[in-house]
Amino acid sequence: MRLELGKIFIKDVQFGQSTHVEKGTLYVAKEELEKLVLEDDRIIGAQIELARPGESVRITPVKDCIEPRVKVSGGEMFPGVVGKIDKVGSGRTHALEGACVVTVGKIVGFQEGLIDMSGPTACYTPFSETQNICVVIQPAEGLETHEYEEAGRLAGLKVAAKIGECARELEPDELVVYETLPFAKQVETYPNLPKVGYIHMLQSQGLLHDTFYYGTDAKQLLPTFMYPTEIMDGAIISGNCVAPCDKVTTYHHLHNPVIEDLYKRHGKDLNFIGVILTNENVYLADKVRSSDMVAKLVELFGLDGVLISEEGYGNPDADLMMNCQKVSQTGTKVVLITDEFPGADGKSYSLADGVPEAKHIVSCGNGNVIVHFPPMEKVIGMLDYVEMQIGGYDGSLKPDGSIDAELQIIIASTIANGFNHLAARGY
Amino acid sequence: MVKEIERAGIPVVHIATVTPISLTIGANRIVPGVGIPHPLGNPKLSEENEFKLRKSMVLKALDALQTPIEEQTIFS
Repeated sequence: MRLELGKIFIKDVQFGQSTHVEKGTLYVAKEELEKLVLEDDRIIGAQIELARPGESVRITPVKDCIEPRVKVSGGEMFPGVVGKIDKVGSGRTHALEGACVVTVGKIVGFQEGLIDMSGPTACYTPFSETQNICVVIQPAEGLETHEYEEAGRLAGLKVAAKIGECARELEPDELVVYETLPFAKQVETYPNLPKVGYIHMLQSQGLLHDTFYYGTDAKQLLPTFMYPTEIMDGAIISGNCVAPCDKVTTYHHLHNPVIEDLYKRHGKDLNFIGVILTNENVYLADKVRSSDMVAKLVELFGLDGVLISEEGYGNPDADLMMNCQKVSQTGTKVVLITDEFPGADGKSYSLADGVPEAKHIVSCGNGNVIVHFPPMEKVIGMLDYVEMQIGGYDGSLKPDGSIDAELQIIIASTIANGFNHLAARGY
Repeated sequence: MVKEIERAGIPVVHIATVTPISLTIGANRIVPGVGIPHPLGNPKLSEENEFKLRKSMVLKALDALQTPIEEQTIFS
């Protein structure tokens, strides 16, 4: 598959009469987008608000973050969810890079997160650096939680696809081409380079912890093989929840740093063969079966080395370790990418599980560290649920609007694919 | 909690869905649970069959508690 990704760099966002881009500024038609969200009768209130880097703005409870994009050719955006079911990963896609749609609203469960656009905690989330179009939604009274989660998820995706549409005819500032050949040809192309794959574990625990692959709930998957460009092009979208710090937002699926970095070295010192997609289910039999299938695919494709990333923490650590152990036993080298939760005092085990084969681990930070959030002039969404959100606790929210909470309340602060800036060092 | 109670001399059966984690943390008697959101039940079953399932799991755990062991054991 060959994907042409045209990037249009967005440096500011403003309201306008129509949704369009002019000299790096994205103008969005507020009422038109609000009307689009309200087409779903499960949502009775919709408000578009803007948040820019450096502003004294706190956004919470945040559900998902999505980059506005359009498929110019080769399928439709978010297939099986917003667009028609069709393969993506080839053809041409235009992205409004630097802009981001952020869905916000009263909590579904307790897993939604927080973004500060300035101050000492802004650096922990990549979304303090994007021009944010916040979609603040109000669910219908008594709406069942799964329905609310789905309505919120679709609202964000629809708005992102609608805004992305204005990039269809634009001339990109930068055009990047990514290509992975069919397996046999790909191996032949660089016969002397090590064959490297990426094992991408998706959160799939039900109870509002879901991810969707071409519209299919990931907990129904058996591990499968993908072209990396499919993921970069909207094949995977995030459900609304999971702990905010290591939720892989839809934005991060489009910008997976493991895939981008493997492509940078593709043909230089490694041969990037593809992605094995797997899940993290709540039944032990599923965990055993999925990790068996992952190891089987690694062996079938004769990979020399794999990188494995995890989404979430706790019991998914068992999936991570099963994958590590079984893949290692096929003779393939393994590096794990994860984050750590050793408790507020740092004295507990960082991961819930471990195996002797887990010798090479990249840590993306400690989610239990407590940080201070000074008050902000403006809140998009509401602070009502801060103490219930993951990372918050009784007494987190102070009367002046400041917050003390664990780092894990911040969206993507310890995301276990290396997108963020945190890391562990040995001394 | 399992380890601290055993340290005080009282044997414990850990009913857990993800038994590899139970082994990693050092539980000695382990009975597999049904699923992470519902370790001791199965919402897909009828009330009558779920009662049978729950009773059989508790009886299995009580048997495990009385079974002498030499090493970490999963009673499946």
